[in-house]
Amino acid sequence: MICLHIALQGSTESLLRRSERKYKEIVIVDQDNRIHTSKYNVLTFLPINLFEQFQRVANAYFLFLLILQLIPEISSLTWFTTIVPLVLVITMTAVKDATDDYFRHKSDNQVNNRQSEVLIDGKLQNEKWMNVKVGDIIKLENNQFVAADLLLLSSSEPHGLCYIETAELDGETNLKVRHALSVTSELGADISRLAKFDGIVDCEAPNNKLDKFTGVLSWIDSKYSLNNEKIILRGCVLRNTSWCFGMVIFAGPDTKLMQNSGKTKFKRTSIDRLMNTLVLWIFGFLVCLGIILAIGNSIWEQQVGDQFRAFLFWNEEEKNFVFSGFLTFWSYVIILNTVVPISLYVSVEVIRLGHSYFINWDRKMYYAGKATPAEVRTTTLNEELGQIEYVFSDKTGTLTQNIMTFKKCSINGKIYGEVHEEPSQKIEMIKKKEHADFSANPKADSKFQFFDHNLIESIKLGDPKVHEFLRLLALCHTVMPEENSTGQLIYQVQSPDEGALVTAARNLGFIFKSRTPETITIEELGTLVTYQLLAFLDFNNIRKRMSVIVRNPEGQIKLYSKGADTILFEKLHPSNEDILSLTSDHLSEFAGEGLRTLAIAYRDLDDMYFKQWYKMLEDANIATDERDERIAGLYEEIERDLMLLGATAVEDELQEGVIETVTNLSLANIKLWVLTGDKQETAINIGYACNMLTDDMNEVFVIAGNTAGEVLEELRKAKENVFGESRSFPNGHAVCEKKQQLELCSIVEETVTGDYALIINGHSLAYALESDAKNDLLELACMCKTVVCCRVTPLQKAQVVELVKKHRNAVTLAIGDGANDVSMIKSAHIGVGISGQEGLQAVLASDYSFAQFKFLQRLLLVHGRWSYFRMCKFLCYFFYKNFAFTLVHFWFGFFCGFSAQTVYDQWFITLFNIVYTSLPVLAMGVFDQDVSEQNSLDCPQLYEPGQLNLLFNKRKFFICVAHGIYTSFALFFIPYGAFYDVAGADGQHIADYQSFAVTMATSLVIVVSVQIALDTSYWTVINHIFIWGSIATYFSILFAMHSKGIFEIFPNQFPFVGNAGHSLTEKLIWLVVLLTTVTSVMPVVAFRFLKVDLYPTLTDQIRQRQKAQKKARLPRSRRPQARRSSSRRSGYAFAHQEGYGELITSGKNMRAKKSPSAPGLEKTPYNSTSWIENLCKKTTDTVNSFSQDKTVKL
Amino acid sequence: MEMKLKDNLSRLPDNTAMKQQQLPACHFHFSATRILTAFFAIGALCLVMGIILILSSKSAKTIEINYTKICANCAKLQENAFNFDKECTCSIPFYLPEKMQGNVYMYYKLYGFYQNLHRYIRSRSDSQLLGIDIKNVEDCAPFEKSHNGTPIVPCGAIANSMFNDTIILSYNLNSAIHIKVPMLRSEITWWTDKYVKFQNPSSRNLSNAFAGSTKPLYWSKPAYELDEEDPGNNGFINDDFIVWMRTAAFPTFKKFYRRLNRIQHFTEGLPAGNYSFNITYITSFQGEKAVVLSTLTWDGGSGLFLGFAYTVTGAMTWLVLFSMIAAHLMLKKRKTFFLQQ
Repeated sequence: MICLHIALQGSTESLLRRSERKYKEIVIVDQDNRIHTSKYNVLTFLPINLFEQFQRVANAYFLFLLILQLIPEISSLTWFTTIVPLVLVITMTAVKDATDDYFRHKSDNQVNNRQSEVLIDGKLQNEKWMNVKVGDIIKLENNQFVAADLLLLSSSEPHGLCYIETAELDGETNLKVRHALSVTSELGADISRLAKFDGIVDCEAPNNKLDKFTGVLSWIDSKYSLNNEKIILRGCVLRNTSWCFGMVIFAGPDTKLMQNSGKTKFKRTSIDRLMNTLVLWIFGFLVCLGIILAIGNSIWEQQVGDQFRAFLFWNEEEKNFVFSGFLTFWSYVIILNTVVPISLYVSVEVIRLGHSYFINWDRKMYYAGKATPAEVRTTTLNEELGQIEYVFSDKTGTLTQNIMTFKKCSINGKIYGEVHEEPSQKIEMIKKKEHADFSANPKADSKFQFFDHNLIESIKLGDPKVHEFLRLLALCHTVMPEENSTGQLIYQVQSPDEGALVTAARNLGFIFKSRTPETITIEELGTLVTYQLLAFLDFNNIRKRMSVIVRNPEGQIKLYSKGADTILFEKLHPSNEDILSLTSDHLSEFAGEGLRTLAIAYRDLDDMYFKQWYKMLEDANIATDERDERIAGLYEEIERDLMLLGATAVEDELQEGVIETVTNLSLANIKLWVLTGDKQETAINIGYACNMLTDDMNEVFVIAGNTAGEVLEELRKAKENVFGESRSFPNGHAVCEKKQQLELCSIVEETVTGDYALIINGHSLAYALESDAKNDLLELACMCKTVVCCRVTPLQKAQVVELVKKHRNAVTLAIGDGANDVSMIKSAHIGVGISGQEGLQAVLASDYSFAQFKFLQRLLLVHGRWSYFRMCKFLCYFFYKNFAFTLVHFWFGFFCGFSAQTVYDQWFITLFNIVYTSLPVLAMGVFDQDVSEQNSLDCPQLYEPGQLNLLFNKRKFFICVAHGIYTSFALFFIPYGAFYDVAGADGQHIADYQSFAVTMATSLVIVVSVQIALDTSYWTVINHIFIWGSIATYFSILFAMHSKGIFEIFPNQFPFVGNAGHSLTEKLIWLVVLLTTVTSVMPVVAFRFLKVDLYPTLTDQIRQRQKAQKKARLPRSRRPQARRSSSRRSGYAFAHQEGYGELITSGKNMRAKKSPSAPGLEKTPYNSTSWIENLCKKTTDTVNSFSQDKTVKL
Repeated sequence: MEMKLKDNLSRLPDNTAMKQQQLPACHFHFSATRILTAFFAIGALCLVMGIILILSSKSAKTIEINYTKICANCAKLQENAFNFDKECTCSIPFYLPEKMQGNVYMYYKLYGFYQNLHRYIRSRSDSQLLGIDIKNVEDCAPFEKSHNGTPIVPCGAIANSMFNDTIILSYNLNSAIHIKVPMLRSEITWWTDKYVKFQNPSSRNLSNAFAGSTKPLYWSKPAYELDEEDPGNNGFINDDFIVWMRTAAFPTFKKFYRRLNRIQHFTEGLPAGNYSFNITYITSFQGEKAVVLSTLTWDGGSGLFLGFAYTVTGAMTWLVLFSMIAAHLMLKKRKTFFLQQ
């Protein structure tokens, strides 16, 4: 084990002692905070970049060919046919890499040059981030980013507390508390003492565990243990703390943030992989052709050439015909390499780049609210967007806005906040309608909107129940109040739900003003009232409720409780029956609208009873054994016979267009899985809210087992349930081989009728992801329409993605906004980041980013679909073109003694792929559209061919190749036949090799141009220019190269002088060209016509419809217009950990001025001495369980 | 975060047709009627073209006489190394049943001579033939230099293997009178070859210009003595030489040799009657040699192949057309049937 010792002397110099078992050495740490994400600098660019480029198989292959061509014995093509494209490609890639790296340099510089205050020579000085060193002491101010991993020394808050937001690290937006050691927090802001701080930190080596830190601080002869609670990590933001001091422990690349960023995996699309396979096949094919021709050459040399050679090369030594065949093989490998030209790879990249720009430029994916356009960060994945089968989505910030708004409430059986208008008119109505007027209330939060005046009326009329309801909202919570510089009241909330409720109460006249550990002060309709806080019955997952017991100024003791309705309704006093049924109806109504509900109740407590109970609670608190159980029992005891007040409904606002997007994606047969770190209830709520879960579903399986066995059993049971209902499958699914598993899974998917949903929590998921339960999980999940995983860790998110990726062999997309989604975004085939939120981590790790979830449907259904369609068309055409182009040499081989003579001019071979035919196919690959974007959106079923991989697969490839071979056959044998016994118009012979080459080249260019013209379905100006331009370019270059001028300069390079002029004025040659074109194109046209006519695909039909210009769109048959009524759900959405009840009641997080002065007067309901320990214990518990999870799963 | 600071408007993508993929475009839709009409038209075109081509190629008169066997004696003679460059003449009489109207062209035709071998085709020096630097023999392997190291002019395998039989056509009016048919050797090459690609070195006396070089090994005379009758037809610009240097695409090829000078008896062409070829046989090879006399048509001398190919294509197109119509109509019936149900 390696430990780092960081010794501080003064503060600017530090020591790192690395002790291993055998020896100790002392090293002066000079690790600065500079980060490098760039790859090259000016000097290293060329060698490193070239090295990287030639590591690619394609480039290396072409280099190999180039070397082959330099060997005179086998060189059948001159070197420039390969080097020109190769240099072009390498230069283009190098320029792209250089630009990318330039931007990385730029962003590095920007981060490195951020300013922070560093304690140097006993003074605070501004210093750039990159100059901060390990051991430096840094002062941070509110809302500043943390520059490096720090050991918190002291802060402006009492007890050395400080609050941080870790959104960039783990995606959680709630505040977290960090606290300094008490010894160091005493240093305060005393610069001179801080400057003299000379502790030594022994700590672990830099690692990427965000939630774990172990170390020891040795200072003034004593040692203090350090844990995660004392550390502030780079990337956090300081909140609610005016300043704090910290000592740098890890800087630059050692920081946990940078350690976590990891290397981005190089992603390839499935088309890429298919292309690689095909290219290998083609090489195999090429080798076969080479062998056939080499054998042919050996035979020819033996039979014919032997005698022929005596005549032609009589002074050469007798050559071994086998050796000749061997040389011929390599010569043909060189000639036939144009089947996979280097320009294929370049063109693919260019097309993807074009598609990426289209996404970047799309105004319909521009979010005006945050001024963010969509951005493509990886430009090489576009066509895969058209093949997505699974979408893994984060919830918070992705599906939802993470904004809670108090929408409705039911008080004493009466609903407030109803808007009666039709939903469609709602938007206009909101504009017209006056908001409930809160101007009378100076403390009102201006952002709050409520549309029901009745509630205001009731408050004014003094309805006691209404008052009690609002009072409860103002009292029963864990919110911390704060006044900002302008004197405005600001609430620090741990969960947005609570914030929404307290803010609602505040706007309605019950203003929560301040709290001390034993009092809560609220302003009730203008009068200040202080309540004594007697007990705080905190929230946890099992209780699903929280309560406070307060004594009001009149001396009455009251228990106020809010919690999940299912729990709370059991605790009600029997007299509540009427209101219970009313409220229950209301709750159903709220839930039907996708609102998160809480039930509200109170209880009047007898003084005596409370005292007895409190005594028991104190006993329980100091008890050593079964403490938690006893406390829980006591809580149960007092929280009964409650009087129901009503219920609240909070909207977890979905992002705009989420429902429509989810519906469209599911119509496109894309399965959406929600993976969230949030609580189960919340996740389910959102599932219902965006129509992923409905009450129409046959069954919603909830897997929440706590042991491996339980989970497995639950999974199997759920599966049997599904099989049982569909009655088509016996229990033969228990043990399956992986392959069978896959098949089974897909069969099952088809046979299972009805909609199922699976909800699984992180804890169970850990077990389910183990090998034996994995298959069951996968199988079950595949059968379900919706899968929701809640409370999952970032790592688990990635594991789920990997699971589907690996076993389902499907293309996956992960979308998220927070740093907790980074792992999932990186491991999915395509990662999408929601940009414009606080954290940038997800965006930085993503391949695509945009501001709103709703843009996903446009990205997939329009851009992705088009990209896939275009890329497939491009590849089909490209392979066709090159087979037609190249195989002519094969046929010619039989007539030229297998001597590796090319059919075409060398220049034609060089230019064919990069000049004569590149642009039309690029234009098609970039601009082609089969159906309009509106139609692609209206008819999501059009997306399916991509998922089924129908447009380009091995079968399609063979068809293209066959087409190419046929064309090459026609291209060669028609001129061959025609040239057999031919003479020119003036008797001159035109059957010479050069004329033949020109005829073939011209036919080829015309045939492939006609073919691309037929393939292009969307003729823009650019297509016209490129197609006509290519033909024109061909002829002008042909005439230029066959001109007198160029021949006289380079007679050996351009021996075709005068050929174009001579051949192309012959009628016969044009007759040959015409016939070749007709015979190569007509069969394809006939074939396509019959296919479209007899078996039209959906695309064909839509195209026809589009053509007919009927504006009628496809009926949106399955698109639900209104939300279905749903069963009632209750959400109590606090933070993941237990509430801060202890923190509040202990008062440790209160301002120093408010802290109790005399301990004797202090009424401590808990033995609060050890709250920090408790908190630590809790955290470490979770940490431990988390790390256990990790080890288990890894 | 820094991004937010940027000007909001500048981040809004431009609303151009190009960037929004809204470029005005026409969708080519291949409706049944269009396709079927196109097939009909193309089929008709091909059929008509095919018939015209067949008829026209039938109208051309061609006579081909293979003299490999007849002159086998000469070949045998030459196999003997002593008689290597001994001239040998053979005569081939033949009867022309119909007269050949108009221009008559004479070709020599070789069977199985691989002028398209990769190494053969490259074995020439275009810069030498351009007359600028006649010592430039770099691409001519293996015929660059003679044994004593002087460069071969013209170098290379192509030049070396030049066809150098002499063919003389005689018109036998009767058994006594043999008229040598007047033949022209001019204009048998491409203009660009004669005046651009092949140039003699600029020197008044060709033999001086070729000094310091060797004639190709198989040649009996140096390049500047190829045509004894016409001094302007010597060196690199010799017509026969140029024709030979334009290598054939396939192992069987015919090359332009002479054209009829339409004077005296031959103003109308070649009259029917008895003729004979007097061939000075120089070299033999494994393939066969023939001599061809032919007249041309409007499109030059096309063989039957193109005509047949057009006819077959036209017929096939119509065949496919009928089957497509059948399929289309059946489908329509099926559709209406479903609709009725």
